[in-house]
Amino acid sequence: MAKPVVILVGADKGGVGKTTVTRALLDYFTAHNVPTRAFDTEAPKGTLKRFHPDITDVVDVTSTPDQMKIFDTLAVTDVTVIDVRAGLLATTLRMLRDIGFLETAKKHQIAFAMFHILGPSIASLEEISETATFMSDANYFLVKNFINNTTFFEWDPATYNNYFKKIKGAQEITVPKLNEMACEQVELASVSFVSFVANKAANGSPASYSFVLRGYVRHWLGTVWAEFDRAGVMDIVTPEVQRKVAAR
Amino acid sequence: MLQSESRETTAPMDRQTPVFIVCSPLPHVGKTLIARLLVEYLHADDRAVAAFDLNPDDYTLAALLPEHTAIANIADTKGQMALFDQLIVADGLAKVVDLGYACFERFFSIMQDIEFEAEAQKRGIVPVILFVAEPDTHSIQAYGNLQDRFPELSIVPVLNAGAGTPMRPRSGFKPNYALIPLHIPLLTPALKATLQRSGLLSASADNVSAYNTAELRAWLRRLFLQFRELELRLMLEALMPTLKFGA
Repeated sequence: MAKPVVILVGADKGGVGKTTVTRALLDYFTAHNVPTRAFDTEAPKGTLKRFHPDITDVVDVTSTPDQMKIFDTLAVTDVTVIDVRAGLLATTLRMLRDIGFLETAKKHQIAFAMFHILGPSIASLEEISETATFMSDANYFLVKNFINNTTFFEWDPATYNNYFKKIKGAQEITVPKLNEMACEQVELASVSFVSFVANKAANGSPASYSFVLRGYVRHWLGTVWAEFDRAGVMDIVTPEVQRKVAAR
Repeated sequence: MLQSESRETTAPMDRQTPVFIVCSPLPHVGKTLIARLLVEYLHADDRAVAAFDLNPDDYTLAALLPEHTAIANIADTKGQMALFDQLIVADGLAKVVDLGYACFERFFSIMQDIEFEAEAQKRGIVPVILFVAEPDTHSIQAYGNLQDRFPELSIVPVLNAGAGTPMRPRSGFKPNYALIPLHIPLLTPALKATLQRSGLLSASADNVSAYNTAELRAWLRRLFLQFRELELRLMLEALMPTLKFGA
């Protein structure tokens, strides 16, 4: 059986674009024909579920039944993506340690990756330091997300590099800004980026989104996926899964 | 890997929609005159045409041909949608864009970002760039850049004898494929003045009388023949892949 892959997308600070990155990631795996499911930890309402309703469950990651729902069922699909709500990243990592998940990942029985979305403040760099203690055997991606017009002005490059080097093998991913109106229209349409580009409504019927806005989204998503390719995101997926995907 | 849905908007093979983009990175080289002449040509050929004036400093084309021309502004996303969402419709209606020099870079950046070229190809839309070829370094570089950015697009140099710069060799402007440069012959000052104050030549009695002068008719005939030849060459380009010897 292929080794399950678990990807956490998180940041302790809110409004840095975690869900946007998760959506791009889900589209990326779908485009590569990798069976993927997602958990939206914005319980009870959920945000991610609005864009990927077929593959997303809303959970409370702090509750034991929901932790069981996620981690006792990892074998049902190849990739599990968890969009961790603001403020819960450290708690979630501690929980993963406590249930023995991190130990299992250390023994390479599970592939574990973390997408850490960085905000513009120094606090974001300090988060790296805290998170690093849990991540010794995980694939660690530091994501600079410019989608919200973030400027990262507070960072001194030397300081950033100092934090960055604390995590062995960490990869940096840059998510560029998406045209504001395009971003807003995808939100209003409540569909995945790929559906918006393909001019499809939430129920799969043809929509009438602006060609210009679809073009902006297509261009942006292509750039983000190129970053995922460059950083080796598909390499997280185990060779067994890659062989299955290639055979499909 | 990213694909757009286009089935519902794809034009039938026998009906293509031309989009002529008249441009130059320089001011005062005759772009509006050429755009206007294209509208005249299409109208004289009984074809419906929509023109777009992108000259924020001076909307001359919109003033001369108000019934056929819309003012466009691509400074913000709404304006970009208003323009490009019309240019990408495969409705058989010919479009002419009079692209002011100040909008040159922005227009083509947007076109590249939204992957207009690929989508146009899927929908049976034929964009043609008519580039007013002035023999200065900036123009030559801009022309080369366009060829690099839009390798599949038809880019045609236009040599305007009436432009400000004296005629010099335009060796830096090689047209794509089997296209040949267009030559705008020199216009006498009197005819130029007539054109500058007239609306669509076939639209009113006064304009018809201006149009009926032998000199203007002869001048227009030379131009219209070149436009016709350009369209034939574009059709031939489109047919080439279907010909056994054309591969």
